[in-house]
Amino acid sequence: MQDPLRFHRKAPPCAVVIYGANGDLTKRKLMPALYRLAYEGRLAPGFAVVGVSRTAMSNDEFRDRMHDSVKKFLEDSPFDEDLWRSFAQGLTYVAGDVGDPASYVELGKHLAGICEDRKTEDNVLFYLSTQPSQYAEIAEGLAGAGLNHGAGWRRIVIEKPFGHDLDSAGVLNGRLQKCFNESEIYRIDHYLGKETVQNIMAFRFGNGIFEPLWNRTYIDHVQITAAESIGVEGRGAYYQEAGALRDMIQNHLLQVMATVAMEPASSFTSDAVRDERAKLLRAIRIMRPDQVADNAVAGQYGPGRSGSERVGGFLSEKGVNPDSQTNTYAAVTFLVDNWRWAGVPFYIRTGKAMPKRVSEIAIQFRTAPLAMFRKATAGAETVPNMLILRIQPEEGISLKFVSKRPGSGMQLRPVSMDFNYGSSFGERSPSAYETLLLDAISGDATLYTRQDMVEASWTAVQPIMDYWATQKFNFPNYAAGTWGPEAADEMLARWGHTWRKP
Amino acid sequence: MSGTQTIKPDKILKELGELWTNMGKSDEAEDQSHGGGLLRACAMTLISFADDEEDCIALGEVIAGLMKEHPSRAIVVRVREGEDYLSARVFAQCWMPFGHRRQICCEQVEITCSMDRLAHVAAIVGPLAVPDLPRVILLRSARVVRSGAIRKILPLGDKIIVDSARAGACGFGEIGGLLDAGHIAGDLAWTRITELRSLIAQVLSSRKPSTITIEYEGKEAGPEARYLDAWLEVSLPDTRVGLKGSGQPGSGKPTIIRIDGDLTIQLAPGGAEVRIGSLEQWASLPSGTDEQLLNSELSIVVHDRVFERVLNHITA
Repeated sequence: MQDPLRFHRKAPPCAVVIYGANGDLTKRKLMPALYRLAYEGRLAPGFAVVGVSRTAMSNDEFRDRMHDSVKKFLEDSPFDEDLWRSFAQGLTYVAGDVGDPASYVELGKHLAGICEDRKTEDNVLFYLSTQPSQYAEIAEGLAGAGLNHGAGWRRIVIEKPFGHDLDSAGVLNGRLQKCFNESEIYRIDHYLGKETVQNIMAFRFGNGIFEPLWNRTYIDHVQITAAESIGVEGRGAYYQEAGALRDMIQNHLLQVMATVAMEPASSFTSDAVRDERAKLLRAIRIMRPDQVADNAVAGQYGPGRSGSERVGGFLSEKGVNPDSQTNTYAAVTFLVDNWRWAGVPFYIRTGKAMPKRVSEIAIQFRTAPLAMFRKATAGAETVPNMLILRIQPEEGISLKFVSKRPGSGMQLRPVSMDFNYGSSFGERSPSAYETLLLDAISGDATLYTRQDMVEASWTAVQPIMDYWATQKFNFPNYAAGTWGPEAADEMLARWGHTWRKP
Repeated sequence: MSGTQTIKPDKILKELGELWTNMGKSDEAEDQSHGGGLLRACAMTLISFADDEEDCIALGEVIAGLMKEHPSRAIVVRVREGEDYLSARVFAQCWMPFGHRRQICCEQVEITCSMDRLAHVAAIVGPLAVPDLPRVILLRSARVVRSGAIRKILPLGDKIIVDSARAGACGFGEIGGLLDAGHIAGDLAWTRITELRSLIAQVLSSRKPSTITIEYEGKEAGPEARYLDAWLEVSLPDTRVGLKGSGQPGSGKPTIIRIDGDLTIQLAPGGAEVRIGSLEQWASLPSGTDEQLLNSELSIVVHDRVFERVLNHITA
């Protein structure tokens, strides 16, 4: 009965159990995403959501809270009260402490009732939107009550961070895998759910003209930037435990890099694509301690300006230790030891309180082999071609090349050929959480990270974390509203490169 | 603005070029102070034929709405009363996406002609189509469909879209003829039931029904009900599928789908009430304005094998 040309993908019947149902992520992202899926008719008629947290609450109170959250945080969509009433029939709530084995037994009874009433076919997706320290405990609690198996399928979704270093990631994986099979564990990296990140694969492997150039012969270097214009905005206490390297590079940006640099998969299936991503991550050259200083830069913002507004430094944020050595900026040069990328630096940078919010991948090609217009243009023709894959805010792709200026003489000028997602596809892009939730419910793990990928990315950043832990940084070393510390410019200068100003 | 009797495609293309140059210049002047910009967007050529008596303003609004999702070079041919009349003009449709500073603009060519000059239009429209991009013809005009000029017009398009539910429009036989001639065809009556079909497919994902009855309004089933019936027969060969009219005068559109004894899908404005045993759930189904239907149909510029199979089933 399927009609792939016309039908949107729809979720099979199931119950989604959200641990941390009273938390920010549930209110801001998960519930609006589920409502939006319902709005688009993607959810099965008897779809159910079970909220779990410690707070005592009735079903109606939970529904009221979620109603207000969805209304407030729903983006690019109208809120339909009639649809909400129907959607809310499937929302129920169970109060319980994750440390109390009885709470899992209670949840089991609740799920059995839902399976009967809502015809969910005993399919259950557990979504852990809690403190990372509770992931393993909840998985063990579920397994202890026998909720990791049933007549239908069982899956568990966990949010990053997957551990705080290589060892803890291994311990977490070990505990999770005692309760659920690896194929049932969905580690969410919302960056991979972004349309433009997925489009990297379409761009590379759906077109014949780019892939032949996608190697060390034609590409000079790659810059991946994820800049935030805001500071930590009240998340100082959390952020000072994480830092930019852990919070962004270890997970999101290394996954983006893997998507840019991986080999073509033999098919667009979950394991085939993830195998290639994992292979790329494992091919990242691991730095020796004596190489870290030259290839990784830590930064922390001090007072400065964001536009016309004066902003304080990281150390003045609430909850931040005045002597904090937390990096709010990190830039790393990664090298990939394989035939395709040998010798091509991948520069990754991310930071808070930068001049603008932008995420992009800039692929700089080698210059033309013969500078035949040098005399006429005083060397201007040596401007290299650049391909920019813009992830946010204006998603799209630009190709920079030189063109002759009109008139006599051979004056060349760089020009840009732009593809803009907004103008070519006027339709609304689903949020990353809509995409990823529907994937998890449908059993498609392509955009989720796997244990070996998590461990490979920790392996790549662990030497940097270890080395930085031994250093006493002279923070702050960049002013809010600037593009980061000078040392990051020097890092690229050693390769003869400069950071692109997005 | 072109002349009233003799129209050359080269001249229209030149006017289009000048239009963009002028828009670029005025935007550049404005850009100095606002930092905005102008983006020319085009993903296809959309050629639509409208009768004089038809509300051309409504068609214009539909096309303007389509531009956001399917930016195109739109060529609107207005067929008017009278004789020996032919004129053309070019203009641009622009909009500013929310939160952006850059306007997106699409070009539009409007050709007005009398019926006796309709055959000449094919020679004008052909060269105006954007190379290498899909060319889609929207045939809303019953007069054009029945005219002799249609033989020259149809080859202009890679895809022909009709609406068999419109009075005087192509019937199943004529759509089948388009397919036989190698065209990609689309029928908005089929598009109109996409969401309903998708809902049915979802609720039947884990069951094999033995009987399905499609109840419709009226004495004679309309194209949507017939498509639905044929699709179910093709998709579920082991299921007994039937149509049942209300017996009262009506539109012929489906109203209730009864599946076995325990599952009903009752259609209502904006959605459907799904009843599975004691479970009742509301499913949102977009109402399907012309713009929404065309948005969906313009996304498909390859042969739609499911549609073709169903149409063959009906016309066999």
